[in-house]
This record gives sequence, structure tokens and C-alpha cells, in this order.
Amino acid sequence: MGKHEIRIRRQRMSARGSERFRNYNSILKQHDESKRIKTITRIFTFFFIIVALILIFVVVSRWEKKQTEPGKKSSIKIVRLNT
Amino acid sequence: MTEDEIRKELLVIERSKKDRQVFGELYEKYFDRIFNYILRQTDDEELAGDLCSQAFVNALNNIGKYEYRGFPFSAWLYKIAGNEVNKHYRKNRGKKIFSIEELKVRELVEQTEEGWDEELINRLLVYMNELPTDMVQVLELRFFEDKDFKEIAFILDMTESGAKMRTYRALDKLRTNFNLKVRYNG
Repeated sequence: MGKHEIRIRRQRMSARGSERFRNYNSILKQHDESKRIKTITRIFTFFFIIVALILIFVVVSRWEKKQTEPGKKSSIKIVRLNT
Repeated sequence: MTEDEIRKELLVIERSKKDRQVFGELYEKYFDRIFNYILRQTDDEELAGDLCSQAFVNALNNIGKYEYRGFPFSAWLYKIAGNEVNKHYRKNRGKKIFSIEELKVRELVEQTEEGWDEELINRLLVYMNELPTDMVQVLELRFFEDKDFKEIAFILDMTESGAKMRTYRALDKLRTNFNLKVRYNG
């Protein structure tokens, strides 16, 4: 047995059978809805990217500030050992 | 489709890109064909109605990206509809169904020696159940949707020679296993 099933349809398909599903207004509504969702997602993504960039900027500037503070500079001492 | 018809349809498509109401003309023109194509792969009218709506919503959402590449617009719709059907089967992990009209099979197959009876139909069903799914898909598009190999290759994302090879292999098996004459000259 394959991954499909074959069935025999005794009646010929007619246009009448599909008539109750034909509704272009509903297609337009669904299209508008998906367009709205797409726009909201796009705005949200844009907002998220902006917030992320601001956060990165703040973190980097704080880190740079810490590095340049006087008293906290790291120093290297040379110790001479008398043998 | 004649060149003039294709040109007229392309004008409607271009207008649809600017005004979504115009897409309604294409919807009315192709709704029955797409619905029946999905129904043949689901055998469930309610499900076919849902998937057909989804296919047209996707087509409308992406009409701006449509470009004519030598295939009729219907091939693009068939491809979207096929993707919707595949998505449904992947999601539900069900067995793909091919609902074939008996009358169409009778039109296609010309009886030679044996009589056309229930037993023969059952044997044909068993034979088609054993064929690989992609081979059945090609046969369906070729004989029940009257698509040429170029369009079939586009709809099923395969090469034209691949589509031809699958059809000829299936028909050869049919001829030898059932001693039938298949009305086919394509």
C-alpha cells in the first residue's frame, strides 16, 4: 500500500456542488485581515529592532565609560627577583 | 488558451495588482476548476471549500509578485492549491486521497477483451494504490485536469522529462497488467 488512497467517485463533479463555497467577499475580508496582521507584525518587528539597537548603544557606551574612568586603570608592576 | 486570451488575462492580472476587486474576475473564472482539483485530492466538500478559500486568499496576497513565465495563470493557481493540500496533509499526517470519477476512467480506458465490471475497477484501484504518490499526481493532472507536461512540471516542481517518464511508466504498467487500451496520444 502506498502513502495514498484511491477512491472512485460514482457521480460526476458539478459546478452546483462548489456553488455554496463561492464567496469573493469572504476572500477579500480574509485578505484584508492577513494584510492587517502583516502590517502589525512589520511595525512590531521594526519597533523591536529599534529598541534592541538603543539597548546595545546604552550597554556599549556604559562599558566604554567604565573603561575610561581614572582610578580603575589596570597597571603592570615589574618585580625583580634577587637570586 | 489563445495568445489573445492570454494577453487579455494578463491585463486583468495587472489591474488586480492595483485594485483587489478586479481579482474577483479571475476568482469567478477559476473557482470551479480549483475547487474540483482540491476535491479530487480530499474527497471532502467542506475541507475542499476551506482549502480553496485559503488558496485564493494566498493568491490574492501574492498577486503583486506574479510574473508571466510562459505558463497560464491557472497553473500558478493550481500550484498554490496543491501547496495548500500538501500543507493540510503534512499537518494532519493523514493519507493523501485521490478521488477519481468513474466516468472519467471509463472515458480514458477502452476495454478490449474483458468486460467492464466491478472487479476490474477494484483491480485498478489496487494497482493505483500501489503506484508512488508522485506518479498518481502526474496522472491526475495529465488526464483529469488536462494539463500539458510543461504545466505539470511547474505545478509539481519537477522537470518536464520527469513528468513524462512517470506518465509513460504508469501507462505501460496499465497496458500490460490489465490488457487495456488507454486512449492517449499526447
